[in-house]
This record gives sequence, C-alpha cells and structure tokens, in this order.
Amino acid sequence: MRGPSLRLSFPIITDQTFNLLWKGVEKIGAHNFSGSAPAVAVSRLSKYFPLINLRGLLKGRRGQGVWALREVDFQVAPGEVLFILGPNGSGKTTLIKLLATLLAPTGGQILIYGRDASREPLAVKRHLGYITCNESSFYGRLTGWQNLSFFARLHGLDPKTAIPPVVEELDLTAYLDRRYFTYSTGIKRRMDLARGLLHRPDILLMDEPTTNLDPISAAKVRELMARLKAQGKTMIVVTHRLEEVQRLNGRVAIMKEGRFREILAEEGGKLEDIYARVVGEGKHVAS
Amino acid sequence: MWLRKVAAFLARDFLWELSYPLNFFWRWSSIFFNLITFYFLGRLISGATAGYLSAYGGDYFPFVLVGLALGGFQNVALTSVSHAVLYGMYTGTLEAMLVTPTSLSTIVFASVLYQFASSLVSVLIYLLFGILLFGFSLAQANLWAAAVIMGLTLLAHLPLGIFSASFLLIFKRGDPVTSLVGSFSALMGGVYFPLEVLPGWLQSAAQFIPFTHALEGLRQALLNGRSLLSLGTQVAVLGLFAGVLLPLSLAVFSWAVHQAKRLGTLSQF
Repeated sequence: MRGPSLRLSFPIITDQTFNLLWKGVEKIGAHNFSGSAPAVAVSRLSKYFPLINLRGLLKGRRGQGVWALREVDFQVAPGEVLFILGPNGSGKTTLIKLLATLLAPTGGQILIYGRDASREPLAVKRHLGYITCNESSFYGRLTGWQNLSFFARLHGLDPKTAIPPVVEELDLTAYLDRRYFTYSTGIKRRMDLARGLLHRPDILLMDEPTTNLDPISAAKVRELMARLKAQGKTMIVVTHRLEEVQRLNGRVAIMKEGRFREILAEEGGKLEDIYARVVGEGKHVAS
Repeated sequence: MWLRKVAAFLARDFLWELSYPLNFFWRWSSIFFNLITFYFLGRLISGATAGYLSAYGGDYFPFVLVGLALGGFQNVALTSVSHAVLYGMYTGTLEAMLVTPTSLSTIVFASVLYQFASSLVSVLIYLLFGILLFGFSLAQANLWAAAVIMGLTLLAHLPLGIFSASFLLIFKRGDPVTSLVGSFSALMGGVYFPLEVLPGWLQSAAQFIPFTHALEGLRQALLNGRSLLSLGTQVAVLGLFAGVLLPLSLAVFSWAVHQAKRLGTLSQF
C-alpha cells in the first residue's frame, strides 16, 4: 500500500498533496502483529457530525456537517502504547470518544478484544479506562473519597477494596478527605487517573493527560504512564507533547482533517520534522 | 448490582445536599413562609370563596395547602430528569458515568430518585406544618387513596420530564414541554383557585392536563376522605396518561440518546 511519496521528502505539504498522499498511505496503520490478538482493532472508522439547523429541518433540508474521521484503520496490541498527535480539530478527541463508546460511529467498526464496541458497549467498557482530563467531571462539593466511591460503585466495585491501592499508587491518600474543589489542577488530574484505574482496566484512553499541568505535576503523570506501560497496560494517548512520546517510546500516529497516519520507525528522521511536514504546522508542537 | 448502583446515586445526592446545610434549612423554612402567606390570604377571602370551595369543605387554606404541596411534587416530576441530564452534560460527569458499565437509563432514573424522595418529604412537611401550626386536619383523610394518587401523579408526569430531557439532549435549550405544561398547570391545574372560576372553554381545556386530575383526586382523598373507588375518574385518567406516555417517552428518550451519540451532542452544552 505504500506509495513512493511516503518518504515525506518535501518540506511543506499542501492540503491538496496531503489528500493525495493519504490515498497511498492511510492503510499502513493496520499494524501486523505476530501472535497476540489486538486489544483494539479499528477498521474503516468514520464519523460525520451533521449540523442541526431547525430552519433546514423545517424545510426538509439537511445542514452542512463535518467529517471528523475518515476511514481510520489501526490496531493496538496488548501492552502497546499508541500516541496520537495532531493539530486542534484534527479528530483526535472524536477518535478517543468513539473508542470510549461515547459517540456512535457513522461507519466502520471498533473491536475491543474482538468484541464490537457498538453492539456490546457494556461488555467492552469493562476493559476501558477513560481519562477524561476534564476537571469539572467530578462533584466539587464531595470529598475525593466520596467521588471515587460513587464511580467505584458504578463499576460494581466495593469502594473499600477498590480505592486504597489506586490512591496509594497515585499518592493521593492524604487528599481523600478534602473536598474536590479544594484540589490543585495537578491533584485533580491524578484523581481523574485514579477514577480511570479503579476497575483495573486493560486499556487506557487518555485525552491530553498533561495539558494545563505545571512541569512537576506533568512529570508525575508521565511517571505514572511509564509505570502503567511497565505493568502491561495498553494505552492510547492523545497528546500535543512530543516529550511524552519520546519518554514512553510508543507507536506514533498523526491525525489531520480526520485522517490517521502512523509514523513508522523506518521512516527515520526526527518526529518533530515529520510532524511538521505532515501537518504543516510544526511550530505548534510543544516539545 | 443494579440496586447498589441506585444506592450510590442516592448517597451522592444526599451528600451533595448535606454539603449545603443552609440551603437544606432554608428549603424547609420557605415552606413555612409560603404557608403563612396563604393562611392570612385565606382569612382575608374566606367569606368570598365559600361558595366556590363548598366541594372541598368551604375553607381556602386547606384547599390551597394541598395545591401547593402537590404543585412542588409535579414540578420535580417535570424538571428533575432534564436537570439531571443537563447538569451531567454541562460538567462532564455524564460522560464520566457513561464510560462505566452503567446504562444511560439507569443513570438518568437513579439521578432523579433523590429529588423525588425529597419532594415527597416536602409534601409531608407541608401537611405537617399545616397540622401543627395552622389547624389543618387530616381527621377525614383517606391516606391510602392519597398515596395511590401521589404515585399515579408521579407516573403521569414523569414521561413529560423524559420528553423534556429528550429534547434537551439534542437541542440543549428551549425545551417547550416543561414551559408549556408548567404554565398550563399553574393556570388551569387549580393550585390557587378552583376550576369553576375559569371560563367554560378553559375548564374544558384543563381536563387534558394530568395535573388537574391529580390535584382533584388528592384534594378529595385528603379533605373529604374519598375512597379510591369513588375517585375512579381521576385514577383512570392518570393511569391512562401514565400507560400511554411512559412507554412512548422511554422510546423517544432512547431515540434521543442514539441521536445525541450520532450528532456528538452528548458532551456539548
């Protein structure tokens, strides 16, 4: 499937050439595995957001929508880490939300350990830990313990046995009796991680886990990600920070305009340069 | 497992309410101030209303007390589902719950249970304050019939709240269901005055509002001690509203959730 233009030898790719490129390379994300079945298998995944327009509906017309994802294919083996880079609006969060079953795909399929996420969402969710990275997705007036207890029970777990090992791992024990709204952004992010890990999921979906964190808090999150990788967790991480990619040594894909392209090791060169060439906005990449 | 999840929601909402102790206190005290206002209003107009209120014992205060108590209950039935959905969408807690192996229907219904329990307590507080402070009497009341009417009131109004939540899942604002039903119920439900004071055509229109029948049934059960059998019309109408609208609203809600996932509006506000 690889065409000659895959070398990415030109300095700037225009949108037109980018689209031509994709026709040759978008399928390379279908990674070949030796032996183990993929933890996540995505095939021809597409997502179209129609625009609701009341005037249009009344006149029987459909509004203009947006293709957030276009026929995305990739697989992730158990224990692998896949980083997804890309500019804002490229479809990264849409992809994560589709994997988390929070959105319904327009086309294509997501298999989690061979189970169709659209058909068996409840079974699939047991394998998934979704780190929302949304500070307001907790109850501010409740304490850390009360928040985690609530979500533990939604997973069908006993809070007394599920919470302590996770909060110990994340160094959160001392904060559990305080109300959530009193936490710093760093503690809130670790609470988010704790919530995603309560049910010991095999697959973690993270949407910009170090965004808005100070360097020390970000480093703690990266340390945790490294430990999770060492424990054999499968991780799909949306990020803007190449530092995370380099630290964890995972596979890397770049998204642009809803298309997904994996960067293969044999392509050579610096990731920053490849990103800049593919996206054409290299200066926006945080390092 | 399901019951444990429901208990988790009840505990969450109770702890949330306890975290605002002053609000907890003022909620109950507002019932007192509401009642005392209508008590004196009742004394002012007692002679003039006797004819209109003869079917309810002739006194205005007991009449309006039952109306106020059930009005709050209806309001919770109409708004609690949409409030729960909107709050979850606005904060992101809905997404955080949806990634757990818990269905959206469980999340929504368990999210409103505490509010229903709380509004039921409010009804009891209304009655208790009325008895202890304002001479209201339940000596003739048929409490069993009143309880059945309350249950049917909930089942007949909950679908309207579910319709409202379905609309908000997709359009976010401008819910017509709560606004229309709330406004019509206030005007034609008979909380503050008996339907007889309305023009004939409005009295006819009021028969299409479930709250009219709920309130009439509850007043007859509490003030006149009427039995369930003698309240057959009210029970049948409320049962019909519940029987038709509840499955329909659940189907619409399920459709709205599917549409919200398709349109990506589940996490937008």
